[in-house]
Amino acid sequence: MANSRTDLMQGTLELLILKTLARESMHGYGIVQRIHETTDDLLKIEDGSLYPALYRMEERGWVASKWGLSENNRRAKFYKLTVAGRKQLDAECANWQRVSQAITRILQTA
Amino acid sequence: MKAVLSVFKRRRELEREVEEELGFHLELLRREHVRQGMSPDEANAAARTRFGDMEQIKKQCVAISRRSRPLTRALKFFFILMFLAGVLVRVFAVELHFTRVGDMLIMVSVLGQLLLYARSLSPATFLSKQTQSPLRLIHDKAPTAAFDERQRTPVERVISEE
Repeated sequence: MANSRTDLMQGTLELLILKTLARESMHGYGIVQRIHETTDDLLKIEDGSLYPALYRMEERGWVASKWGLSENNRRAKFYKLTVAGRKQLDAECANWQRVSQAITRILQTA
Repeated sequence: MKAVLSVFKRRRELEREVEEELGFHLELLRREHVRQGMSPDEANAAARTRFGDMEQIKKQCVAISRRSRPLTRALKFFFILMFLAGVLVRVFAVELHFTRVGDMLIMVSVLGQLLLYARSLSPATFLSKQTQSPLRLIHDKAPTAAFDERQRTPVERVISEE
């Protein structure tokens, strides 16, 4: 099936962003790159759509942003996880595990 | 008048900040494509395609950061307090003059809230209702990679990556 795509659940992007930021603070481009690398380009994010998600997460207090200098000395906005963000990550991780376990179980009983 | 001007200035500032952030991303995408051997023009076009609708995204980001501004939040809170005060006055006042004051408070606070709501509306608010998630699983890549050697899906790999 060429070019077929599956939409993933809303909220998954947020979970991936939270997890990616858990280790270090990053700018938007870095987050997209990291997700592409870890998934061998299997998961594609439309690059631009990352930003409304990041802004909403900042509004909810899960991430905080700060302007800094990028690797190549350009001004860039860096995002880092807040304490609330870390809690959210734990909660969403647990939730993801539950859902995927349940689905796997159903698939195995067929 | 000055306050009105400062609101506009602040808005322009927010827009400029969003523009700079998105522009930085676009620039890095362009460079990545040039590194892969594209001509500058091709790289430009490819970066824009991968980024998505720049104007639309910019509007969404500005709208989100405007509504979460401290001033907007403080005003909303203030109007709620005003409304409650109005209701209290209306309930407990015996004299006609005082109930009028209560009416005024309620009216002003409701109007204020409506105004704040109207100001927060922008075309982006209506257009941003995404019908599909921005995240896609690509099937046209080698399907064997859907699970890795430990039978984990890509999302699980990001989650458990240490």
